[in-house]
Amino acid sequence: MNFLSGLFTPQGVASAAFVLVMAITILGALIAVAARNIFHNVLGLALSLMGVAGLFLYLNSPFVALMEILIYVGAICIAICFAIMLSEPLYLPKPPRNRLKMLGAVAGAGLTFVFLCLLIRKTQWTPAVERSTDWSITTLGHYLLTNYALIFEVISLLLLVAMLGSIVIARGGRGSS
Amino acid sequence: MGSCDPVLLGCLLTVFLPLSAFALIMIFTWRYHKLSMAISLVASTIPLLIAWYFFFTLDVKQPIIYNFNWLVSDQVKVPFGFLLDPTSVLMFVIVATISWLVQIYSIGYMGGDPGFGRYYADLSLFALAMLGLVISSGLLQLYIFWELVGLASYLLIGFWYEKFSASEAGKKAFVVTRFGDIGFFMGLVFLTLYFGSLDIATVNSAALTAKMPPWLITTSALLIFCGIMGKSAQFPIHVWLPDAMEGPTPVSALLHSATMVAAGVFLLTRLFPLFAASATAMSVVLVISTITLLLSSTIGMVATDIKQVWAYSTVSQLGFMAMGLSAAGLAAGTLFPGYYHLTTHAAFKALLFLCSGVFIHHFGTNDFFVMATQGGRKLLIPMATITIAALALAGIFPFAGFFSKEAILGALAHLPNKMWLVLGLFGAFLTAYYAFRVIFVMLFPKEKYDKYHLETDPHAHAPAHSHGHGPGPGFTHDDAHIHPDAKPGHEHDESGHGAGHGHDEPHGVPWVMSFPLLVLAGFTLILGFCQGSLEKYLLGESAPHHIEYGLLVSAVSCAFGGIALAWFDWGRRGAKCVGFISYVPVLENFFIQKWYMDHFWRWFLNTFIYGIFSRAFTYNDRRVVDGGVDAVAFSTVGSGRLLSFIQTAFLQYNLLFMVLVLAGVGIYLLMGR
Amino acid sequence: MLLFNQLETYLYLAIVLFAIGLYGVLARRSLIALLISVELILNAASINFMAFNRFLAPHPAVGQIITLFIMAVAAAEAAIALSIIVALYRKLKTINIEQATELRG
Repeated sequence: MNFLSGLFTPQGVASAAFVLVMAITILGALIAVAARNIFHNVLGLALSLMGVAGLFLYLNSPFVALMEILIYVGAICIAICFAIMLSEPLYLPKPPRNRLKMLGAVAGAGLTFVFLCLLIRKTQWTPAVERSTDWSITTLGHYLLTNYALIFEVISLLLLVAMLGSIVIARGGRGSS
Repeated sequence: MGSCDPVLLGCLLTVFLPLSAFALIMIFTWRYHKLSMAISLVASTIPLLIAWYFFFTLDVKQPIIYNFNWLVSDQVKVPFGFLLDPTSVLMFVIVATISWLVQIYSIGYMGGDPGFGRYYADLSLFALAMLGLVISSGLLQLYIFWELVGLASYLLIGFWYEKFSASEAGKKAFVVTRFGDIGFFMGLVFLTLYFGSLDIATVNSAALTAKMPPWLITTSALLIFCGIMGKSAQFPIHVWLPDAMEGPTPVSALLHSATMVAAGVFLLTRLFPLFAASATAMSVVLVISTITLLLSSTIGMVATDIKQVWAYSTVSQLGFMAMGLSAAGLAAGTLFPGYYHLTTHAAFKALLFLCSGVFIHHFGTNDFFVMATQGGRKLLIPMATITIAALALAGIFPFAGFFSKEAILGALAHLPNKMWLVLGLFGAFLTAYYAFRVIFVMLFPKEKYDKYHLETDPHAHAPAHSHGHGPGPGFTHDDAHIHPDAKPGHEHDESGHGAGHGHDEPHGVPWVMSFPLLVLAGFTLILGFCQGSLEKYLLGESAPHHIEYGLLVSAVSCAFGGIALAWFDWGRRGAKCVGFISYVPVLENFFIQKWYMDHFWRWFLNTFIYGIFSRAFTYNDRRVVDGGVDAVAFSTVGSGRLLSFIQTAFLQYNLLFMVLVLAGVGIYLLMGR
Repeated sequence: MLLFNQLETYLYLAIVLFAIGLYGVLARRSLIALLISVELILNAASINFMAFNRFLAPHPAVGQIITLFIMAVAAAEAAIALSIIVALYRKLKTINIEQATELRG
């Protein structure tokens, strides 16, 4: 009963919600890689990204969480949908999966997982001695336009170049009309 | 040491004027003959003035040294700079004067040659190299200019490169002198390694003997002497010098008699204290130079090409100078006799060549028998001056050669072993003989030369006097330069030099050609009487002269004996016109074949260089080097082929292995912690 | 200690996401699926940044800005990748990377 009564405190609710968010994230990720239908993959990705946005909320940054939904779910997933529609038709029969390849992929991913787990376990995490507590969006915007203005500009340039590049490539390259 | 120091400025001008003249002519003006000539003349006249100015006004008792560090590596410093002391200033004057006179002379001699501009560019290059060599302050700098001199010599010998023998002779000169320069360079390396300085003043100082053991001094001195042997054409690598006569005659006068070949002897003088520190080295020098003297004198006795005679004479006189220097080194003497002979020799030998140049130019042949029968003696100025020069060469009073030979013989007389003196006297005798063989043939031409020379061979068993004898790159009797417009035109007649009047020949001697002759003849006459002052200039004090009359008499009698024999053989009415040496046919043939030195080197080349080294190197090149390169190439291609099987174009497998290895390594490292 | 107040929770979640993404990259054949997997990997990195920002960093804005940067890069990358996919499909009539084997040795 202790567990149940604990569930209805504010912290209990928050914890339960957090577990839910984690579950959504991992489930979405699994759907994103495991489903055979490519549209299901995209939807799984969207689900997972929503979960990640929830995580960001838990990490005290609602702005980034909103941006996550805006950019990833709103822009990238939609772009992927467009690409799916522009490329291969979905009704074509899919070749059977290659067991060996999947086994190798599982091994590679698992080994990396073990490696990273060990890395986390063996590292001594030490917080910074003096920490600011100002988490407001105002401060973030202020920094983005003063100290980190370069990042802002580089992002702009990068997006511009990517835009131009994707147009050029998708049109079929130089010379074709 | 400010930039306004006039002496330094003079040195810099001396080096950079000819350099810029060379560059200017080669790049821009070589098509315009007159302009090129003017540039080159300006660039040689100014050093001439500087040289004489230095000679007369500069007090160099205390050497003036300008040193700039060019290369500093730990304890080894390689300075670049100028060293002005009596030795270098005197040589500076000689080089500047002779090269100026030769440039003047060449206006006439080379006039109309299609390569006129190139010729003057090469002369400027030579002037740069030689002047830089003379006044350089460090041995490495000297070595660099030394090689530049070799380059200029190569360019000038092979000036008429369309002629096969000329280009061959150029190559031969270059390669043979390089052969000696290897030794020179190794000597420099020795000095650097064990002494740590290539500064001439330091090398010559007493610090050397304190710092290096005697055997090392001997080794490095002998190695440096290898370079001297190459450049000054000492036995056994003298073979390039006679062939070098393929170049234009003014070049022979400038490079191969008066200045460039004297660079070797100059270096010997320059490093006289170093050589004097090792008696062994000096003895070797003495032996080599004596052999050179006798060998080349005997060959000079039988040569029929006038330039060949003077070439061998040059070789022998260089040997004589080296003899004088080494004898002085052995008997605690001074460098004066050898250096004095260098000075006088520069004057009279340049004179001999330039006179011969006039004859060659005039008659279109190198053979003095032909010149004689065609009336060579009618060219008054050259004939008079060549006789003066020959008298000087033979060592007859009052000409310069008399005094300098006397000085060298005096140095030889100081040696405990009198054999050297006797050999020196014998050399002087032979010198007088072969010099006057030419003079008497030219002066008193006989009808029978033609027969003797062109068709009959008095000695059936000796293939003597036939042209083109001997193997290898011998000289040819072709006209030294075959170009239609090289003859002095008639328009020169009116401007012929005043002293040249009165001959009936339609061709005069242009004044630009006779002027240097007269100047040099003047030098030949007066240099002898400058002995005392020159000695004072060189050594600081004039040693008291006690004339050894016995020596004097024997020397003069040797010279007169040689002349008399020449008169008996060639000059007198009814002379047999065969050299006394013809009575010993074996010897004569031996001399005509140049002591078989060309054969020897040809054999040496064929057997050792081509037969062993070349073949081994070729084999090495084909099998090891080429094979190695091929092996690398093939193995690269092969392994690329092999590896390309891994490249399946399945990116995900590549990525999988990458991830596996990365994670594996990461886990391994973390588990170890 | 609450679950969502611990650094390790986020880190483990991030590596789970990373491993899933890696599996997708290694196993899937469709180029679009590969792109989706890469997005997952990028998100794992973003989570890490945000977590470090929340628990360790002296200054709370840095990690957020980096995360924004990653998003922008991901967007650019997605745009380029998608255009490449479209171009490739036009050329090869497939987006299966096992059939794009023109560089086979």
